[in-house]
Amino acid sequence: MLAVLVVLTLLSELTAKYVAYILHNNNMVYHFFTPVEFLFYVLIYQQFFSSKKWNYILWLCFAILVFSEIFNTIFFQPLNVDNTNILILESIFLVAFSLSLFIKISESEYHQHLLKEGIFWFNSAVLFYYAFNILIWGFHSIQVYNLKNPPMFIYNFILVFSGLLYAIYAFATGLNSIAVKKRRLNHE
Amino acid sequence: MNNLLQINSTDVTVFVFAGIIVLALLFGFIMYFLFSYRHKQKDFQLLHDQKQQIDVQKIELEKTLRELKSTQAQLIQQEKMANLGELTAGVAHEIQNPLNFVNNFSEVSNELIEELKTERQKTESERSAGTENDIINDIEQNLQKINYHGKRAESIVKGMLQHSRANAGVKEPTDINKLADEYLRLSFHGLRAKDKSFNADFKTDFDESIGKINVIPQDIGRVLLNLFNNAFYTVNEKRKSASDSYLPTVLVQTKKLNSAIEIIVRDNGDGIPKKIIEKIFQPFFTTKPTGQGTGLGLSLSYDIIKAHSGEIKVESKEGEGTTFIIQLPIL
Repeated sequence: MLAVLVVLTLLSELTAKYVAYILHNNNMVYHFFTPVEFLFYVLIYQQFFSSKKWNYILWLCFAILVFSEIFNTIFFQPLNVDNTNILILESIFLVAFSLSLFIKISESEYHQHLLKEGIFWFNSAVLFYYAFNILIWGFHSIQVYNLKNPPMFIYNFILVFSGLLYAIYAFATGLNSIAVKKRRLNHE
Repeated sequence: MNNLLQINSTDVTVFVFAGIIVLALLFGFIMYFLFSYRHKQKDFQLLHDQKQQIDVQKIELEKTLRELKSTQAQLIQQEKMANLGELTAGVAHEIQNPLNFVNNFSEVSNELIEELKTERQKTESERSAGTENDIINDIEQNLQKINYHGKRAESIVKGMLQHSRANAGVKEPTDINKLADEYLRLSFHGLRAKDKSFNADFKTDFDESIGKINVIPQDIGRVLLNLFNNAFYTVNEKRKSASDSYLPTVLVQTKKLNSAIEIIVRDNGDGIPKKIIEKIFQPFFTTKPTGQGTGLGLSLSYDIIKAHSGEIKVESKEGEGTTFIIQLPIL
C-alpha cells in the first residue's frame, strides 16, 4: 500500500508539473490529490490498528476530510488557491494517527529490534513530516506572510522534506519486505 | 523569489525558531519512545523467559500429576486388595455355612435316593406309593435348599469379586440394611478368624422404612467395612487393657431422614484424641502400628461418600467411644 502511495505521489507531482505548464497554476491538482493521499494513509493505518474502533475512527476522519475539502473549496480556498486548510487538517489527523500508533506499538509485545521494523520508520516519517506541515501551513493560514499562496522557499523546503519522507517510505517498504521474507522462511 | 523578498526577516526567524522547537520536540518524543520501548522490551523479555520457565515447570508438574494419579490409582487398588484380604476370613466363614448346608442336604438326598431304590426293589404288594412320594418330596425339598444355599454362596463370592474390581461400579438400588448387615458379619468373622482372642459384641438397629437407595454397592460396602473394621479394632484394643467388666460393643444403626438416610456406626472404644480427629480423613494417616493399616481407609471412605453427594461425620469422646455418621441422599 505504501509503495502504491509513493507511485501515486510521483504521478500526482508529474500531473502537477504538467498542469502548471498548461494552466500556470497547479493548485487544483492538490485539491484532488489530498483526499486520495489521505485515503491511502487511512488504508495503511487500518492495517496497523486492525480494530473495529480504529476502523470507525479512520473512516470518520476520511469522511470529515472529504467534506471539509468540498466545503473549503466552495467557501474559502477555490481550485486556483492552495488548499492549505485541508493540508493542515490532514496533517493533524496523520500526526494523531502516528502518535496513537506509537502508543499501540509501546503497548504491544514485539520481540524484534524496533529500528529494524518498517512500521517504526514509516510512522516516524509521518510524524515528522506532518508535524512540520502543520507548522508550515499553519504559518500560512494565520497569514504570517500575508500572501495568497505560501512563499516559494516554503515549497522548496517541503520539496526537500518530501524527498526525505519518500526515501524513508522506500526504506520502510524494503525493511518490511525483508521481514516478510524472513517470516516466510521461518514458516517453511 | 519575489515572494521571498516580500517576507520580512522577522517572519523567517519566527518560522526557523518554531521549526527548531518542533524538531526538538519530535526528536525528544522519538528518543523517549525508543527508550521506554526498549525498557518495556526488557520487561517483555523477562516475562517471556519467565513464561517459558513456567511452561517447562507446568509440563513437569503435569507429568508429576499423571504419575501421582497413577500411583493413587495403584494405592486405591492396593487398599481394595488389603480390604479383600481382611474380608477373606469372613467370606470363608460366610461361605462355610451354605456349604455345610449343601453338603448335609446332598448327603441326606443320597440316603433318600438309596431308600427310594430299596423301596422300588420290593414287590408290588410290599411297595407303598405313599412312602415313595414322601421320599421324592423330601428329595425335592432338599434340592431346593441346596439350590438356595448354593446361590447364597455364589452371591458372597460375587460380592467379593465386585469388591476387588478396579473399575468404578454403577449405581443401583441397594438395600442398605442388608448391605450393612452382610459387611458387619464379614468384618466380625474376618477379625475373629485372624485373631482367636478377638471378642466383641455387635448390635444392629435397622430402620426398615429406608428401603432401597441408589448407590454403588461395592463402594458403600467398602466404606462400611472400613468403619466396622476400625470399630472392632478399637474395641478389641480397649478390651486388652480394660477391666473385665468392659463389654466391647459395636452398634450399627440406620435411620430415615427427610431426604437422606443415615448410617451410624458407634463403638465404645477409646475414642479419638481431639488433636488428631481432624486428620483422620487425610490420606496415609493411621494410628495403627506399622503394617496393620495403610491409612487410606477413611480417606477413601470420605471420597466415596462425597462422590455419592453424601456426608461423613465423626463424633468422639476420649475414653468413651466414637460415632461415625454417614448421610446419603435419597435420589
